[in-house]
Amino acid sequence: MENINIPIMEVNVGGLELKNPIMTASGTFGYGEEYSPYVDLNRLGALIVKGLSLEPKEGNPPPRIIETTAGMLNAVGLENVGIRAFIEEKLPFLKQFDVPVIVNVFGETIEEYTKVADILSNVEGIAGLEINISCPNVKAGGLEFGADPNLAYEVIHNVKSVTHIPVIVKLTPNVTDITSIAKRVQEAGADAISLINTLKGMSVDIEKRVPHLENITGGLSGPGIKPVALRMVWEVTREVSIPVIGVGGIMNARDALEFFIVGAKAVQIGTANFVNPRATIEILEGIEQYMGENGISDINDLIGTIITE
Amino acid sequence: MEPDKSIITGKILANREVAENHFVMALAVPDDFEEALPGQFIMLRVKGREFPFLARPFSIYSIYSLQKMIIIEILYQVVGKGTIILSRLGEDDELNILGPLGRGFDIVPDRKKIAIVAGGIGVAPLSFLAEYLGKQASGFQEDRKIVCYMGAKTSELLIDRERLEDVCSRVIISTDDGSNGYHGSVTDLFKEDIRSYKYDDLMVYSCGPYPMMKKMAEILKEHSIPCQVSMEERMACGVGACLGCAVRTGTQKENPLYMRVCKDGPVFDIDTIIWR
Repeated sequence: MENINIPIMEVNVGGLELKNPIMTASGTFGYGEEYSPYVDLNRLGALIVKGLSLEPKEGNPPPRIIETTAGMLNAVGLENVGIRAFIEEKLPFLKQFDVPVIVNVFGETIEEYTKVADILSNVEGIAGLEINISCPNVKAGGLEFGADPNLAYEVIHNVKSVTHIPVIVKLTPNVTDITSIAKRVQEAGADAISLINTLKGMSVDIEKRVPHLENITGGLSGPGIKPVALRMVWEVTREVSIPVIGVGGIMNARDALEFFIVGAKAVQIGTANFVNPRATIEILEGIEQYMGENGISDINDLIGTIITE
Repeated sequence: MEPDKSIITGKILANREVAENHFVMALAVPDDFEEALPGQFIMLRVKGREFPFLARPFSIYSIYSLQKMIIIEILYQVVGKGTIILSRLGEDDELNILGPLGRGFDIVPDRKKIAIVAGGIGVAPLSFLAEYLGKQASGFQEDRKIVCYMGAKTSELLIDRERLEDVCSRVIISTDDGSNGYHGSVTDLFKEDIRSYKYDDLMVYSCGPYPMMKKMAEILKEHSIPCQVSMEERMACGVGACLGCAVRTGTQKENPLYMRVCKDGPVFDIDTIIWR
C-alpha cells in the first residue's frame, strides 16, 4: 500500500532520472569519500564530483580561502587528480553506492573539453557530465568560454558530438546577459543548465595592505550570493526549455524551496557542506516536511509556481 | 558503509583567560567521543549563529574523562573576529564540533630522546603530546627522556609550564625579551643545545609560528634529525573536501604537490614541507 504521506521526489533532469532533486555542487564535496562518514550517499539525488581536467592540476598557492560576510572566497585554482586517477582511484569507491555520479569537467581548449568528455562517456559508473565553461580559453587570450555565447556554443556542440550521456552546462554569473549564453548552449544541444558558478571577488588585509588570497581574486560563494543566483535562475528558466539546476548559497530547505518555486528542476548544495556536513540530507528532509505541511504530493507540482502578477 | 560520524554538540564548562589574550576553553562532549591522538584537531562553530560563517580549527590541548563525560580543552589566542566571539562565550553556551580530525603525531618507539620545541601558542598540541608521551614513559617506555624547549614573547605568555614540567625530564625556557630563561628565540636556544644529543637516538616535535618552523627545518636539515611539525592554514571544511588548506610538499612524486593540512596533516614530517 502506498504511503500518501511520503511525497514524490523523483525528477528527470535532462534525461537523468534522479530519486530526488538534491545534488552536491562540484568542488564542495570532494570525490564523495570525504563526506561519506557523515552522509549516506545513497540518499543523494546525484553526486557531482570535484572538477576534472585531462591532466592533474596542482592548483594555486595558499592562502586559497578567506571568509567574507555571509560566505567565502576561494581561489583553489581547479586543483584535481586528473581524469585517469579519478577513474582508477576515486570512481571505484563511488560505484558501491546507488547514486548517479556526475563528473564536472573543464579544459583550456575546445579539444581538451572534447577529449575529456569522450573518455568519460565510455566509463561505466558515470551518469552524466557537467561542463564548467567558466575557464579561460588559452587559445583566445584567456577569455572565458562561458563569457562568450559563441565560444560556449562551440564547446558544448563539440562535447555533445562525442557523448551519449546527459550534458549539464554550468554557467558563470560574471557576464552581462546570462540568458543569451543559456540560449546558445541550449541550441548547442545541452541537456540541462546549472547556475550559478561563483561570483568573482576580492578581499584585502588592511594591516598588511595585501590581498587575503595569494591569487588576488577568487570566487565568492555562500548565502550572500543566493539572491543573485535566484534572480539568474528565474531569468534563464523563462528563456530556455531545458531543465535548470539552481545553485548558489543554499544553506537550508527554505533557500532550496525558493529555487524550485522560481523554476529550478533540481538544486545543488555547495558551500553549506563545509559549514554542516549533513546539509544535503537536512535540506532534503526539510523540503519533504514543507511539502507535507502544504499538501504537495509531488515536487514537480511545485516547480515554477511563482506568482508575479 | 553506513555513516558513523556526526556533528557533536559540546557545552562550555569554562572559558578563562590564562594570559593576556590567551584563553583555555573546556568543552563537555558525550562519552562516545572518538579517541583523540596528540596533534589532531577539532572544528568549532558557535551553535545557531550565522557569524562566524565557517567553523574554525583548533588543536586539541587536553582531553580527559570526567563523570561519564569527555572534556576537551583548547588553548587559543584572540587574533580576529572569530576568536573574539569565542572568547566572549560563557558557561553552558553550545558549540558544534567536528572531530577528532586529521593525522596526529607519529610516536617512534625506538627514539629514546624526545625534544619538543614549542613557540608561543604552538604549545597547544605539544603539551598534549608531552603528556601522552610522559604517560607511556611511566609505563612501558621507561627509558624515554623528554626535553621541552619552550619559547614565548615574554614571561607571562609561558603557558602550561607546570604540566610540561610535570611530564618532561627538563623544560628549558626562552623569551624574546629575556624576562625568563634564555634571552632570544626558542630555535636559537635549541640550536645551541643540539650538539648535546646523539642524533640517531633523537626525535623532535615542533609547533609554532611559520618563520619559527621554517627555522627549525633549516637547523634539523644540517643534522638529518627526524622532526614532525603541526602546520596551520585557513580551512573551510576540515575533512579534505574544499582543498582550501593547501601546503606545498615535495616528497613522493606520485603524490600531488599540494597536500591538505586538514586531512594529510596537520602533522607533517618537517623535511617534506617546501617552505615559502
